[in-house]
Amino acid sequence: MRTQIVDSDVLVGGGGIAGLMAAIRACEMGARVVIAEKGHTLTSGAGSAGNDHFLCYIPEAHGDDLDAYLRELREGKGGGIANLVGATHAKVWLEKSFDIVKLWDEWGIPMRAEGDWTFAGHAFPGKLRARLKYWGKNQKSVLTKAARKRGARIFNRVMICELLGDGRAVSGAVGVHTREDRLLVFRAKAVFVATGEIRRLYPGITPAMMANDTLPITLTGDGRAMVFRAGAELANMEMIYRHVGLRNFARQGQGSWIGVYRDPFDKPLGPYVTRPDRWHGDKTPEVDKELFARIFESARGPVYMDCRGISDEDLEFLLHSLSNEGNQAVVDFMAQEGIDLKRHRLEFMTYSMIAVGGIFRDERAATNVSGLYSAGDEWGNGISAASVFGWIGGENAALHAQRAPAASRGGEQATVDAVRRRVSSFTRTDGGTVYDWKDATYALHQTMRDYAGVVRSGPMLEAGLAHLARLKAKVHEGLRGANRFELTRCLETVNLYDMGEILVRSALDRLESRELHRRADYPITDPLRNGKAHTVRRQGEAVVFDWAPLEKKAPAARKERHAPAR
Amino acid sequence: MPPRVDPGLCNGCGICVELCSEDVFFGTPGFGKIHTEKAVVSHPEVCWHCNWCVEKCPTAAIRLVIPLSMHIPYKDAPG
Repeated sequence: MRTQIVDSDVLVGGGGIAGLMAAIRACEMGARVVIAEKGHTLTSGAGSAGNDHFLCYIPEAHGDDLDAYLRELREGKGGGIANLVGATHAKVWLEKSFDIVKLWDEWGIPMRAEGDWTFAGHAFPGKLRARLKYWGKNQKSVLTKAARKRGARIFNRVMICELLGDGRAVSGAVGVHTREDRLLVFRAKAVFVATGEIRRLYPGITPAMMANDTLPITLTGDGRAMVFRAGAELANMEMIYRHVGLRNFARQGQGSWIGVYRDPFDKPLGPYVTRPDRWHGDKTPEVDKELFARIFESARGPVYMDCRGISDEDLEFLLHSLSNEGNQAVVDFMAQEGIDLKRHRLEFMTYSMIAVGGIFRDERAATNVSGLYSAGDEWGNGISAASVFGWIGGENAALHAQRAPAASRGGEQATVDAVRRRVSSFTRTDGGTVYDWKDATYALHQTMRDYAGVVRSGPMLEAGLAHLARLKAKVHEGLRGANRFELTRCLETVNLYDMGEILVRSALDRLESRELHRRADYPITDPLRNGKAHTVRRQGEAVVFDWAPLEKKAPAARKERHAPAR
Repeated sequence: MPPRVDPGLCNGCGICVELCSEDVFFGTPGFGKIHTEKAVVSHPEVCWHCNWCVEKCPTAAIRLVIPLSMHIPYKDAPG
């Protein structure tokens, strides 16, 4: 296998929204930047096919009180990262959001849906509208162009597998080419990891068709797995999210719809709207994502999206939104099927479980490992946070690279050899018991669903962990790929098993029930855990858990200013 | 299963092969180099219906065939 050495100041792992923004900013700061992307930056990641909403705080639209905006966001359960990371972090993000929106607009992404800043959808009637409506179908091509224009070198079809470093600081990463027989050693002074979230850990809605998912199933938590192996902290790995969307055809874009969610007897399921409302949508499933699952499973369904009464203009707006949110395939399917949204009601459902934890980082996008930065769906959700913290992380990675001495090569050869051995093992043809990546994935799905599923308990998680350990040993020994496509899936599968194991261990360690992490043996939500992230890291062979407060202590001077007069 | 390439229309330009992040067209002859052969759908099972291959095909040779298991249930609601 040929080895290629690539030198840079900043290595960006993953060319999605966060990765491209980090690369753009790091280039502007004068850094030599390399992006390693497993697929192709024009079509990869959660923002691949487009988006139509961007969380953006604009004082002239929302008023000067950022706290009020944040409060509303949290009430609407649309806070995403705001709920996960605490107010300090959320404010850094929201204060920067409008600057990023203006940049995107300047670069050629249509951020003004109707000629000016327009806020529509994902909102309670009469309340603040937090999400900017935009047409993001071309976002990946615009950002790819912007990164190239500023000098970033993009290596498409390279999956980064392991970080390089001496245990204290990172010095690059080792990547495997997904189409050619080639290993790439990226030497860098700082690394920004943004490979996105984990799909393919739990079974989807069509078990026989694992790609029927709201995002690509090649998102396999590669970044989380490699930073964990390198000693970085992950957080809230046991926490679960379930999305809502069209029944059977798993897609994002619930907020694009303009209509009312109703039961079979036409009764609206929520108190918010009774007719299609372009400016607010129907917030009902956002308040309780499992509502539709409970209704269906207790035979009180199906649940319908009812667009009857929608105007021609709003229908056109809805279809255009769907197309920009990456759902042109749905729009085409409805046309072929003769579905007329003015007449037909479509079924909606709650989708399967998704792990929502990720790489733990601060508001500078820095992790606990020197020189290692991260953003995007690696931690929290949403394109807005991905772009803002991509930008911030790219800037800080470039600053780190300026200050950092020449990277140490300590441990480089050992890591390169380890990756080489893994590749050789998965591609060897000397017989023995062999398994393929699909079988290994289905075994993982089944174990995660059965032992770390909707309701959990100590004995079930322990049993799942023991089974997972046996499966993992067999996967490491017997997994084989007949070509580079299958080899890539095998390398992903190793990461999935690592992250599945960490999820189960984290679920065992969280002795409470919170949101969709439900422990039959610990049913209460422990108030002592409020405002804390459940962190996990590797120390030698041990796995260490901790609880990190999300809010930093206010500086002493500020505290005094707010102290009550005596 | 998606996508479906019409060999009568495909001109072998390779745009779909180049673009697909999931590598649905893995192994198309000339793969990774200069494309002159017609696109081959070797891994439909990883397609997530982003639709870029359909939209970027210069000869409109590709369409997505949505699997039956993904067909959306609906009801007619006159009025």
